[in-house]
Amino acid sequence: MNTISKNSTQGHEIGQAEMDKVVAAVRAIKDGPRSLQLYMDLCAKCGTCATQCHVSEADPERRTNPAGRSDLIRKMFNEDGSVIRKIASALSSKGSAGLIDKKTVEEWARDFYECSGCRRCAKFCPFGIDNSVITRKGRAILHSLGLTPTRLVDTQEVSNKFGNDEGFNRAAFMDVINFLEEELEEEHGVPIKIPVDKEGAEVLYCGASADFQNSPDTVMGYAAFFHAAGIDWTMSYEACDAANMGLFTGDDPHMKAKNKVLHDACMKLGVKKLVIGECGHAYRIAKFIGGSNYWGKDIPYQITNIFYLAADLVKKGAFKLDPSRNPIPVTYHDPCNFARSTGLTEEPRELIRACVSDFREMTPNRDANWCCGGGGGLANLDSAEGVKKRETSFQEYRMNIGGKKKLEQIRATGAGYVAAPCANCKRHIDQLMEYHKMDVKVGGVFDLLNRALVLKNGN
Amino acid sequence: MSAAQVFIGVILPYVTVVVFVVGIVYRIKKWNKAPAGKMTLFSAPATPSEKWKQILKEVLVFKQLFDGNKSLWAGTWIFHAALLLIIVGHSRVVTDFPLLWAALGMSNANVDTMSNVVGGAAGVIVLAMGIYLLVRRLLVTRVAEISDTEDYVCLGLILAIVISGDILRFGPHFDLNVSREYFAGLLTFQGGPAPSNPWFLIHFFLGQILIMYVPFSKFLHIPGIFYSKSLIYQR
Repeated sequence: MNTISKNSTQGHEIGQAEMDKVVAAVRAIKDGPRSLQLYMDLCAKCGTCATQCHVSEADPERRTNPAGRSDLIRKMFNEDGSVIRKIASALSSKGSAGLIDKKTVEEWARDFYECSGCRRCAKFCPFGIDNSVITRKGRAILHSLGLTPTRLVDTQEVSNKFGNDEGFNRAAFMDVINFLEEELEEEHGVPIKIPVDKEGAEVLYCGASADFQNSPDTVMGYAAFFHAAGIDWTMSYEACDAANMGLFTGDDPHMKAKNKVLHDACMKLGVKKLVIGECGHAYRIAKFIGGSNYWGKDIPYQITNIFYLAADLVKKGAFKLDPSRNPIPVTYHDPCNFARSTGLTEEPRELIRACVSDFREMTPNRDANWCCGGGGGLANLDSAEGVKKRETSFQEYRMNIGGKKKLEQIRATGAGYVAAPCANCKRHIDQLMEYHKMDVKVGGVFDLLNRALVLKNGN
Repeated sequence: MSAAQVFIGVILPYVTVVVFVVGIVYRIKKWNKAPAGKMTLFSAPATPSEKWKQILKEVLVFKQLFDGNKSLWAGTWIFHAALLLIIVGHSRVVTDFPLLWAALGMSNANVDTMSNVVGGAAGVIVLAMGIYLLVRRLLVTRVAEISDTEDYVCLGLILAIVISGDILRFGPHFDLNVSREYFAGLLTFQGGPAPSNPWFLIHFFLGQILIMYVPFSKFLHIPGIFYSKSLIYQR
């Protein structure tokens, strides 16, 4: 079976020009950012990160050791700046030669895609070194060489063309919306509209476009929520996707361009609020990386998450919720990008508690939660593709190494449903449960709300 | 008067100060100049004053390390605390504080006893913890696999300084008046050669090497921790 497209990294030629590019990019760390400079200078090699990383714990090897992975760049940077190297290279007049070779670049292409960038190491590092920053730098360099895994490159290209990662044109998108409206009416017994491109609406809702196909129940949950809350909301075709592969590939221009789609839609529709859904990295980019950081402090709309809106109204008793409609034990998986990068941890729990009869916490949880193993774009990767063929496929890697900690955590709860409000986590954990023959459903928080919600005159 | 006494006692100290100051200023300027994007790691403190409280807590009690690795935390916290105590105690090698002792109502004999007990204990503790860190680095696979020459050089240097210092304290009597007289001369640029005690020369030489090494090694974590923590605690 050959599903590798024209962008394939396999067999990609790594010559002197590529290696010079790597050296130049690593050298440029001397101009910043500050985080990278500090991480080059400070690491004391105490080994704490190795005991706090889900990958390193599942497969204790030097290559999975976070400090060891970061050394791929750190050693090169520090060696390059050393007096000894300066004298040696002046004498040999070889310049950057010997700092990196073809084999090393091949290893980078593998190793920087084994870290999911979950930032858990930074929580326990005595200096707060965030290895995800180094991983992303490594990936950015690989991206500039055309060595990003095909699936991610393809997704970015589709997104550049259609504005969404799924490649919906307007007709296909409206088709999905109509289908969801029909399903909603069937389920709740009352018509529930999903407004699209409604100018002057108060709220523009935006989530991961993958949800439309993979998690329709989650999207229906949003619509039912807005309906029940009486919020004047809309979706936008142009901005139907807040997912943003630029964070994962290290492609800053893509990240900014994709964020601009959201900004433009907010400006065009004149909404007061941009509300992001169950998608951790999307919310992180929309609110903490992009948003006012890209488009100015005085943007005329607020950026928030649907969990804040919903939890607030549930607390005020705005809806009738029937927890007995969700009788199976439910556990909550904190997506890294929500818990560690945006601080969103309590609101999903408040919602779940109101919607289910048996809620069970995983341990550890919240900002100390283990990554599911699908973060950093890994959930999208299945094949054994690499510059060289990988020893194991990405899928096997995720099932046996990346996901090992999460599997143990879920097993320990005895839950029958994992609520994971993130398209990456959903896909990965779902595969993980199937692979390990666990009878556990995986879905969103709003799927639960959709089921528990008792509407006026409805079912 | 030996050549070593002149080199270590008259020339090297000024080199050490210049290298250390220039090196640290260079590093800090570089960090300050580099653009620092927001990279908040939750749950981060909500206000700037809380942020600095949290950073101070990290610097004083290593809270994140406590959460991450209890045995390393114990070993390294005791190691750093004893080192700090020793550095403070070294002020008595340079000069004396008769006014302070008078204010505290302590006689010279009292001060010597305190110095012997507290300083002596710290000297033993720091040696024990240093050995623990070295053994851990050699034997714990996850640490050994990421350890480089630099990591062993740093630890070895500290251990050598600690051992020569312990010999000065517990070995044949070393007269502090001799070193005070020497440092008084050094500070007024009329320095005579360093005291001839060979352990003093070794200790003082390695100490200066360590100070010069700070801006060029992982010892940069001393000023750097304020910067790196600030990045992730910034809202």
